[in-house]
Amino acid sequence: MRSWNELETGSFFDANARERAVGMVDKGSFTELLGPLDRFMSPHLPVLGTAVEFDDGTVTGVGLIGKHPVFVISMEGKFIGGAIGEVNGAKMVGSIRLALKTAEELKAAHPDDYEERRPMVVISFETGGVRLHEANAGLLAHAEVMDAFQDCRKKLPVVSVVGSKVGCFGGMGFVAAATDVIIMNEQGRIGLTGPEVIEQEMGKEEFDASNKALVYRTTGAKHKYIIGDCNYLVEDKIGAFHAALADVAAKSMEEIEGMRRIGSLKLVQEQQGLVKLVGDMQPKDSMDLWKYYGNEDPAELPEMTTEEFLKVVKRRVRP
Amino acid sequence: MEFQKVTREWDTRKKDTLARLNAAAPLVKEGKIVDAKDAVALLETVIKPFDKVNIEGNNQKQADFLAQCLCKMDPGKVHDLHMVQSVLTLPEHLDVFEKGIAKKLDMSFSGPQAGRIAEFLQAGKLELGAIHTYLELYGRYFLDLTPKVALVAATMADREGNLFTGFSTEDTPAIVEATKFRQGIVVVQVNQIVDKLPRVDIPGDWVDFVIQSPKPFYIEPLFTRDPALITDAQVLKGMMAIKGIYGEYQVESMNHGIGFDTAAIELLLPTYGEQLGLKGKICKNFILNPHPSLIPAIETGWVESVHCFGGELGMEDYVAARSDIFFVGPDGSMRSNRAFSQTAGHYAIDMFIGGTLQIDPYGNSSTATANRVAGFGGAPNMGCDPKGRRHSSYAWLKCGEEYGIKEQLWGPVHRGKRLVVQLAETFREKLAPGFVEELDAFKLAKNANLAIEPVMIYGDDLTHVITEEGIAYLHKCRTMEERTAAIRGIAGFTEVGMKADPKETKRLREAGIIKTPADLGIDISKATRSMLAAKNVHDLVEWSGGLYNPPAKFRNW
Amino acid sequence: MALQTLEFTFKSEATQAIAKPWSHLGVTGSGDLEVLMEKKDLGGDVKAKVITPVKGFDQVWERMLAKFVNDTGVGNVSIEINDDNATPIVVYMRLRQALAEAQAEEAE
Repeated sequence: MRSWNELETGSFFDANARERAVGMVDKGSFTELLGPLDRFMSPHLPVLGTAVEFDDGTVTGVGLIGKHPVFVISMEGKFIGGAIGEVNGAKMVGSIRLALKTAEELKAAHPDDYEERRPMVVISFETGGVRLHEANAGLLAHAEVMDAFQDCRKKLPVVSVVGSKVGCFGGMGFVAAATDVIIMNEQGRIGLTGPEVIEQEMGKEEFDASNKALVYRTTGAKHKYIIGDCNYLVEDKIGAFHAALADVAAKSMEEIEGMRRIGSLKLVQEQQGLVKLVGDMQPKDSMDLWKYYGNEDPAELPEMTTEEFLKVVKRRVRP
Repeated sequence: MEFQKVTREWDTRKKDTLARLNAAAPLVKEGKIVDAKDAVALLETVIKPFDKVNIEGNNQKQADFLAQCLCKMDPGKVHDLHMVQSVLTLPEHLDVFEKGIAKKLDMSFSGPQAGRIAEFLQAGKLELGAIHTYLELYGRYFLDLTPKVALVAATMADREGNLFTGFSTEDTPAIVEATKFRQGIVVVQVNQIVDKLPRVDIPGDWVDFVIQSPKPFYIEPLFTRDPALITDAQVLKGMMAIKGIYGEYQVESMNHGIGFDTAAIELLLPTYGEQLGLKGKICKNFILNPHPSLIPAIETGWVESVHCFGGELGMEDYVAARSDIFFVGPDGSMRSNRAFSQTAGHYAIDMFIGGTLQIDPYGNSSTATANRVAGFGGAPNMGCDPKGRRHSSYAWLKCGEEYGIKEQLWGPVHRGKRLVVQLAETFREKLAPGFVEELDAFKLAKNANLAIEPVMIYGDDLTHVITEEGIAYLHKCRTMEERTAAIRGIAGFTEVGMKADPKETKRLREAGIIKTPADLGIDISKATRSMLAAKNVHDLVEWSGGLYNPPAKFRNW
Repeated sequence: MALQTLEFTFKSEATQAIAKPWSHLGVTGSGDLEVLMEKKDLGGDVKAKVITPVKGFDQVWERMLAKFVNDTGVGNVSIEINDDNATPIVVYMRLRQALAEAQAEEAE
């Protein structure tokens, strides 16, 4: 693998799951749990003649950012599209539970400076949702992960990181929305139904999945950032994600709670307000919304570098 | 001796055309302009049964509206047409046969319609004249396949019928010249009718009717290769090519194929090529479409000139801003021209290099599959040794000097040889072998009743084959036996490669006829995507300083 | 339908052991594979285990792995591969990359 220094300056988008996991935490601090040597693989795939992976497509482990233990779950999109099955689902749930357990132990051991050592869960999503070969187990994992998020609520932050080729779709789109903080690069995409499926169901006139510019305007990070679904838009460097995570780790749990999208009556009302707005204005394209939020020349936004974009963009102001 | 002079009229073609033009005159609105709604009626008036008709289908630009109109003609009025066209890619190009409007076909390349052509041939819906190379077909436009009616596409026209074809000029001049100067009829679909053109590419008096099509003509970015999809194996072969061929022969002028293999080479020039100190020595003059993957090599000063067969969507502004490199008109936009580019590609370049699907033990190379009549396009024009070449260059002379049978064939005369290089993977996706004992072209010839097997590059023209196993310098071989052994020696674990005799392969390595990556001093574990000067489309945009504007399907932002 | 497991043992001429106790490289993506190498006392041999959905290429695997062992002189190594339709060149390149990784000093 490339050295940590190379990873920091390297593209997040081009990195595989293990490189992302290692590079998002402090230098030399990552320890993989249930790595390739443990050969913790899906028992279902061999029967179905589908290739297997030693880590079942998800890298899990723990590293440090400052004094904060960071529990990393990093999905590999090249392995069955990053889909969630029984084993990688269980690794994901287990990692979150381990973070929670660690939080409780640290709180007991360091009551005075717990905040400084408060653990964090980081999920690098690259997935289309449930793995069809083991769909029941995959669905169960979705439910268990959501449940574990609730247990972490207000105790330690759960952060989504989205910036890889497959994006974050299907059931995992819901899961990402239920985390506290979302960090994306320009290439990151979040959605429920994938573009090809929308085209198949609604027709090419409604949504042309081969028009990647349209796909990105609809599901991509710049749109999510304007609407407020994405909290941090960063350069496509693993180091930029590392820095954003350090920023989150330094915040109070109260501030972090304020970055959520769903999870309270007030937030539900805010979401309903958005639904009403869309009903009233009937936008034909995301750019209509960008304009509504004060971006005079919305067609220019996709062309800008992340740096330029962050300088000029107008975002939805949260109530 | 007594001469028998024929008694005949000598201007029947002219009179016939005049009669047709007069019959169509009521459909003309002003100048040469005909309404799109009258297009079918126009075609039914100017086209007669058994005419030779050219419908402009290039690699990229398609006279798609006129193709649709052609299909809407009444087969009772117009039938048995003989279609002569270089590229057949739209469904309508075959619908005219299905509907009984056309009967015979002469063409070069068919791409997506290749399966249907094979089907139609077997069902007797279509008579195939021949599958040509581009230059060969253009040649026959001026010989025995001159169109009576040409249906072409241009970007803009003015009211006098002057045409602007600009960036996507492609085949238009060749078709129009052949048609008009044998008293034929030229119908043009244009995206826009304007008062003043940026420049005149086709003079108005060569054009009879202009129709503004309801939608701009269809154009596809066929030559854009996303660097994100280039594999480590392609990087390895690219490094082998640069070191073992480009560097070794100091190849200055060339055509690159359109696959990922050659895109990898283009992206390795600023990195690996630079490391080898080859800048200024190789890759100066290209005959090539404006490949976005060439941008980093241009920006780092490798390339001196590029002439293009056609345009490429998204490259308009970049090309216009690099007029030292590309062929740009006084209006500031590029002009492509397939006939001239193919001429340069046939006679003038030192090397043709491209990917292929199958190579047999004799070195014949083909992209044909058993049930698709796909044709050749221009590859055979460039992938051959042009016997009409008389200027020398280092690469050409060196390749001739090394020619293993030059004494038997040439005597004492000094001659050179075109480098014709094929890049092949021993196994492609889904483990389909790249080397076979018999080409699928043989099955296709049988299935489609072709007189000759559609071989893309003949074995005796092929000088080098590159696989991940090594480079075979085939032109150095003295016998067919040695040639076959060299091919087997780099064919890996395919059926062809398994028959290699390891002792003979070793001897060929010692003789410099086979060079493995190790022989070339290339560390396989270092041949990775990290060597590429651009790793994705976004990087290409950055290299271009924002001048390259990739089509929506290649964006991920 | 089910995945198949192929196992091979190769006598190595040079028996050069790897530097790290174990090393991993690659992803089981479509047309790709992952390689796990472990240093083991095998009396100089190389053991290889391949799990693949592809049928009918047993002999190609055996010859490809033999070529790798022969070209590199590696020994006392257990190699495990999870494959998903990789072509021989991809297999060979990944093996060479995996070996380079297994021999590498930890870079900064």
